Amino acid sequence: MGAATTTHVPTASHDTPDPNENYLTVTKGVWSWLATLDHKRIGVMYLVLVTAAFLLGGIFALLVRLELFTRGETIMGAETYNRMFTLHGVVMVFLFIIPSIPAALGNIILPIQLGAKDVAFPRLNLMSLYIYAFGACFAVYSMLTGAVDTGWTFYTPYSTTTHSAVIPMIMGAFIMGFSSILTGVNFLATVHKMRAPGLTWTRLPLFIWGLYATSIIQILATPVLAITLLLLTCERAFGIGIFDPKLGGDPVLFQHFFWFYSHPAVYIMIVPGMAVINEILSTFSHRAIYGYMFVAMSSIALAVLGFLVWGHHLFVSGMSEYAMMVFSALTFLVAIPSGVKVFSWVATLYKGSIRLASPMLYALAFIFQFTIGGLTGVFLGMLAIDVHLHDTYFVVAHFHYVMVGGTVFAFVGGLQYWWPKFTGKLYNELVAKIGFWFAFVGFNVTFGIQFVLGSRGMPRRYYDYLPQFEKFHQISTVGSWFIGTGFLIVGINLMYSLFKGKKSPRNPWNSAALEWQTPTPPPLANFTKVPVITRGPYDYHLATEAELAED
Amino acid sequence: MSDAITSEAPGSDHEEHEHAHPKFLAHHFDTPAQQFDTAKLGMWAFLAQELLFFSGLFVAYGIYRSWYPETFAVCSHLLSRPMGGANTIVLLFSSWTAAMAVRCAQLGQQKNTSRFLIVTIICAFMFLFIKYLEYGHKFHEGLLPGNYFGHQYGGIFGSIPADAEVPDLPAKAHIYFGIYFIMTGVHALHVMVGIGVLIWIWRRNERGEFSKEYFTPVDIAALYWHLVDLIWIYLFPLLYLID
Amino acid sequence: MSAENLHDRSVHAPVEIHQDDGAVHVHIASAKFYVAIFLALVCLTLLTIGVAYVPLGKMNLVVAVVIASTKAALVATFFMHLRHEAKFNVLMFIGALLFIGVFFAYTMNDTERRGELDDAQGVEVFSETGKAAPGGQPVMSHEDDEHMPRHLATGGSEVK
Repeated sequence: MGAATTTHVPTASHDTPDPNENYLTVTKGVWSWLATLDHKRIGVMYLVLVTAAFLLGGIFALLVRLELFTRGETIMGAETYNRMFTLHGVVMVFLFIIPSIPAALGNIILPIQLGAKDVAFPRLNLMSLYIYAFGACFAVYSMLTGAVDTGWTFYTPYSTTTHSAVIPMIMGAFIMGFSSILTGVNFLATVHKMRAPGLTWTRLPLFIWGLYATSIIQILATPVLAITLLLLTCERAFGIGIFDPKLGGDPVLFQHFFWFYSHPAVYIMIVPGMAVINEILSTFSHRAIYGYMFVAMSSIALAVLGFLVWGHHLFVSGMSEYAMMVFSALTFLVAIPSGVKVFSWVATLYKGSIRLASPMLYALAFIFQFTIGGLTGVFLGMLAIDVHLHDTYFVVAHFHYVMVGGTVFAFVGGLQYWWPKFTGKLYNELVAKIGFWFAFVGFNVTFGIQFVLGSRGMPRRYYDYLPQFEKFHQISTVGSWFIGTGFLIVGINLMYSLFKGKKSPRNPWNSAALEWQTPTPPPLANFTKVPVITRGPYDYHLATEAELAED
Repeated sequence: MSDAITSEAPGSDHEEHEHAHPKFLAHHFDTPAQQFDTAKLGMWAFLAQELLFFSGLFVAYGIYRSWYPETFAVCSHLLSRPMGGANTIVLLFSSWTAAMAVRCAQLGQQKNTSRFLIVTIICAFMFLFIKYLEYGHKFHEGLLPGNYFGHQYGGIFGSIPADAEVPDLPAKAHIYFGIYFIMTGVHALHVMVGIGVLIWIWRRNERGEFSKEYFTPVDIAALYWHLVDLIWIYLFPLLYLID
Repeated sequence: MSAENLHDRSVHAPVEIHQDDGAVHVHIASAKFYVAIFLALVCLTLLTIGVAYVPLGKMNLVVAVVIASTKAALVATFFMHLRHEAKFNVLMFIGALLFIGVFFAYTMNDTERRGELDDAQGVEVFSETGKAAPGGQPVMSHEDDEHMPRHLATGGSEVK
């Protein structure tokens, strides 16, 4: 990878560099977007789709919470309620969280952080966007033709017998899985082969390390989801009997198959979130991430350990006791790399020059909420305790603390952190902070109370509940309105900045990271010259004044 | 836009223009070697996911074989060993021709590359034809997956005579045939995709897109084809040859 | 003005510059060698068919898998050039196999051992009959199961 021959840029305009020309303005028209091979534009299109999915899933969530506001029927019947929580799960997991950070933020930032002109396979990148959109069409088709009422986990035998539109939905998830795999393949090859001269493995930004670990999971786990969903389709269409107890099959086997993917998939969701946090923390503490190599390796460790613990979803499914013991013991190991990260982040803050800008608030909230979500996961990994807590609101609260309090907060934080880079515009910082506080308070009210609900025995996915749970449910529902308001404020603020925002300087956060050393927004080839990397992205002690200056 | 930083790179300026972006080299790569290595790495990652994709079927097979060993033994005798064996040889041969096609491409022998690719494609069609005969036979006997097991789908492959012998089968035989059809069906799907890919590569070769310097697509396509072979190498003994 | 000027090479740091010419170099095996590999594969196929007719009991599966793996190894190593492939690509291939192993081993650790602990501890679930908790796959009767095909009149996993 010599630096010698990298001067070709495929546009004619590079002969007369225009200071105002960037990837957004270099070509015009709808087609120049739809057929683009530029990773930044593909990332922006992902961002639009993923945000739309987030909005849709969020509406489902608010409706579910609203229904639970009072006992009995509040706004919808039980059948509709079952469909609502299923759609909330499916949309949030398959359409939003899995592609959110890697495919949307990662697509734009990863090649820039690597000092590369593009990802390794630009056409594959565009293809995975269209595969994602195609799969999403199936999901929408399913919603319009009766939706699904199985829960996002599609457990057999119910999923093979229910009359809702299961097959279109699982075909949608099947297709979107390939989008995820291809993104993983692309990123893996990009990280290995497209690094700028001097960008050694020990100088890789931790965001890249996180996405690298995620790619490994995407490549190794997602195909198992594909085959599982294919088998489920065959089970429903032909009754092949592999998962159907009536035909001599084993429904627990479906759970094994499903969670062999879906547990690692939890790490597809959270590891990129952790990765974003590193970037934000370093920039706003003006300090190198403490224990860089440990944090990097803990991402890889999570990727690998993620494959060894899926059985903890099956503790009350009638699995062999010996298997349970192994899975329970291995589950505790996950706490080690997670703990390494949390301690390293806290140590990074120590004696840093902390600047409480809005992305930093999200990062701090992430640490707080992820720690709660992670530790309650350890409770659930214990065999005896899980028997009591399994399928209660405790589990719901646990994974929302990880998925929302972790990944979604990281996504929104990362989006605000890189927003100037993407768009060249600054958003209103005060409004962003107001949005954050709404979301933060709302989130903790909504899900904090659910730990209590769950430990007192409120089962998840139930339409109705006992009188003693009503107060808790009402508090939780009110909290959900605050989350909605918070993210709405964030969205409006960002949209407003697109039209009325101030022009962003090159490096609005005074960061030492590579992506801020190129013009904002970046030119088509990301850099006007091939960068030669001489230090790590967090080496503030090596960064020059000019690098850290805003312009 | 050539600049001070890049032209300073030691031992590179004298080569800069000789290797400066031949037609096949995408703009975001520096050298053909980088492009080749990247493509290979991407393909191996893709093959890894293919292996995991099939692994689910093998796990299901393993569990049900261990639960119902007699069923599997009896049912495997209903498959045609000569046909399965013939298909194995056909695929192995096509794997050899694919390897030879890559070799010819590496040596820049465009004509021979095309010849070997065509033989590979013919073999792929032969494989599918034999598979079709086998499937037809199973359909006749009602050896179908799951719900359709034992039904006589005469309409598709001609009707079953009333006095046709239906073998006595142990319970759970429908699971064996469910697994058989899915495993071989998904594999056959890969064969079909492989045919498409090979035809595309063959056309590109005919157009003279490949050379000693650039044969990556031939190599990549052959890797995919070998994987299809690799899966069949396991399917054959596991499905056809149980004691 | 562009800030990546600031990552100046004058700040000394190890920079990887490949000294080669950037062209693709691969190992090309002889045609004869490929023919030999093909013939070996054919021989192994005939061997595995032959062995299938020898009653070896449980070893039958082991032998079949060992032969298949040998064939697969030949194809991967030589036809797919894994022998001369970059180390990381080999690692990915082997890694994928390891994860498949995890999938197999952990799933079967459940499916093969269900209910064992209940047996060992004498756990009784059906108190009226004193039966131990059911484990694994019970032998079911299918007489009244309309989903069963017509020639599966009686149940049990025995051959009729």
